[in-house]
Amino acid sequence: MLPPPAPYFFPWEIRPGSQREGASVRTFGRLTSYFPEESKAVLSSQHASSQHQVQVQTGFVEPFNPIVGAQYIVLGELTSAEGGGVAVRARVFNCVDGVDVDLLQKAIRDQRSFFQETRNEPDVNCATTAV
Amino acid sequence: MEADPVASDDESPSLLWGLDPVFSAFARLYIKDILEMRESCQVPGIYIFNSHPIFQVDVLGIVVFRREREDFFSYGVDDGTGVINCLCWKNDKWRDQDEPVKWDRTVGASGAFNVEEHVRKLQQAQRCRSTLEIGDLIRVRGSVKTFRGNREIMSSFYYKVNDPVMEVQISWMMELPKLYQKCYLKPFKLPSVTTESSSTDGSGACFPSLLGQASQTLKDFLKEKEVKRFRSYDVEHLLHPLIPQLSSKLEGEQASAAGPSVPTQLRQLLTETLQLLQQEGTIFRKIISPDQLYNVTEQDKDLHMLIRDIIREDSKLEKYAEKGCHVLHIQSSARQRYSQNLSREVLDVALKFLECNSDIISTTDYHYTVL
Repeated sequence: MLPPPAPYFFPWEIRPGSQREGASVRTFGRLTSYFPEESKAVLSSQHASSQHQVQVQTGFVEPFNPIVGAQYIVLGELTSAEGGGVAVRARVFNCVDGVDVDLLQKAIRDQRSFFQETRNEPDVNCATTAV
Repeated sequence: MEADPVASDDESPSLLWGLDPVFSAFARLYIKDILEMRESCQVPGIYIFNSHPIFQVDVLGIVVFRREREDFFSYGVDDGTGVINCLCWKNDKWRDQDEPVKWDRTVGASGAFNVEEHVRKLQQAQRCRSTLEIGDLIRVRGSVKTFRGNREIMSSFYYKVNDPVMEVQISWMMELPKLYQKCYLKPFKLPSVTTESSSTDGSGACFPSLLGQASQTLKDFLKEKEVKRFRSYDVEHLLHPLIPQLSSKLEGEQASAAGPSVPTQLRQLLTETLQLLQQEGTIFRKIISPDQLYNVTEQDKDLHMLIRDIIREDSKLEKYAEKGCHVLHIQSSARQRYSQNLSREVLDVALKFLECNSDIISTTDYHYTVL
């Protein structure tokens, strides 16, 4: 009845093969484009001098007021997209423009390292962070 | 989820839970931990997280599931580690919110402060804060319950959090690891004093305090020797063995500090002990005089005979024929005929002693008679 929990992922960790399809994720990014007729949006973010894009399927959260250029938080399930990529099928799509992205990233990293230290949880993202 | 015998080792006795500050607080736990923590094997409805007893929690998360019932909302809350169901009761005030708010238009139009209008606005704001949609941020405080095998939070307090730039969420994420390290991950250790006293309690009727030891020593002596009356200097030597123990303890802590001398300590202890025994009714002074003579209540044959006589004679009176004599009547008679200084406690001790010997019979809590 209740959906599975959606842990935070960095946008550059949302890649084909990194997570199984259907996994619940939560990530962030700047809305760069929105195609209402296809219910598709693209979030992009900067990491280590390269641009990362996350495709979002917005069918479940429409109608919403898209603000291109604003920061968004997306929570949903991974699904395969056209061209072999992955997309997030959004359950929650919130505009959080004005968010301190650096602080958010620090908070995510702190939480992860806390879980690794205290409960010896395997780092689910070690493969991706090593890249 | 069920208590297993191995895990119960880290569960402290429920009597001592109140000493753990986490117990009475709303614990800010990750939802994953709330879902996984073990239920106590002593008290159902209390959960054990890392030896801390917990029943109230405080969570912040995004609403990912929502169901409305007649008198409550059921929200699924996701904090990134787990999803838990939160039962959020509707406020009673909502029921009558459709009632037309009657207010005087003339006053409202004149621009004066209108209480009803403000109350209506306040109710609207309150309602808007407690009706959430999927994607809203919610803060819930409440008690953890297990309903049909599923953990849930029965909210005592909840509201929609306005967090447009994620300030609240980020500070929550950064605060929780610190709280865990400072508090929840540190096992609950009992203060050493309580563990000591509980261990002595287990070994027998041993008093933790010096005063308790002293009064027990005196009582034992009086009983053993069947002492009828004594003066304070007669029993002073009995308490002497207790004093060196005290002074050696003091030496360890404050060797240089000049504490009171042993005779002074002894006199003080004796005075306090005699006072305690008088308060309990074990001993009493028949006459207050400079000569400190104490009578032992259980050995005072004159007092016993007098009480028996009072009860026997007065039970014949019509007033006391049915139930026997009331304690207060016995006390006032005994005061007149024996000692003005007779306290209620002394009388109770004497009456109990007489009843144990079957000399008198209690008919109610306060009435005594003889056969």
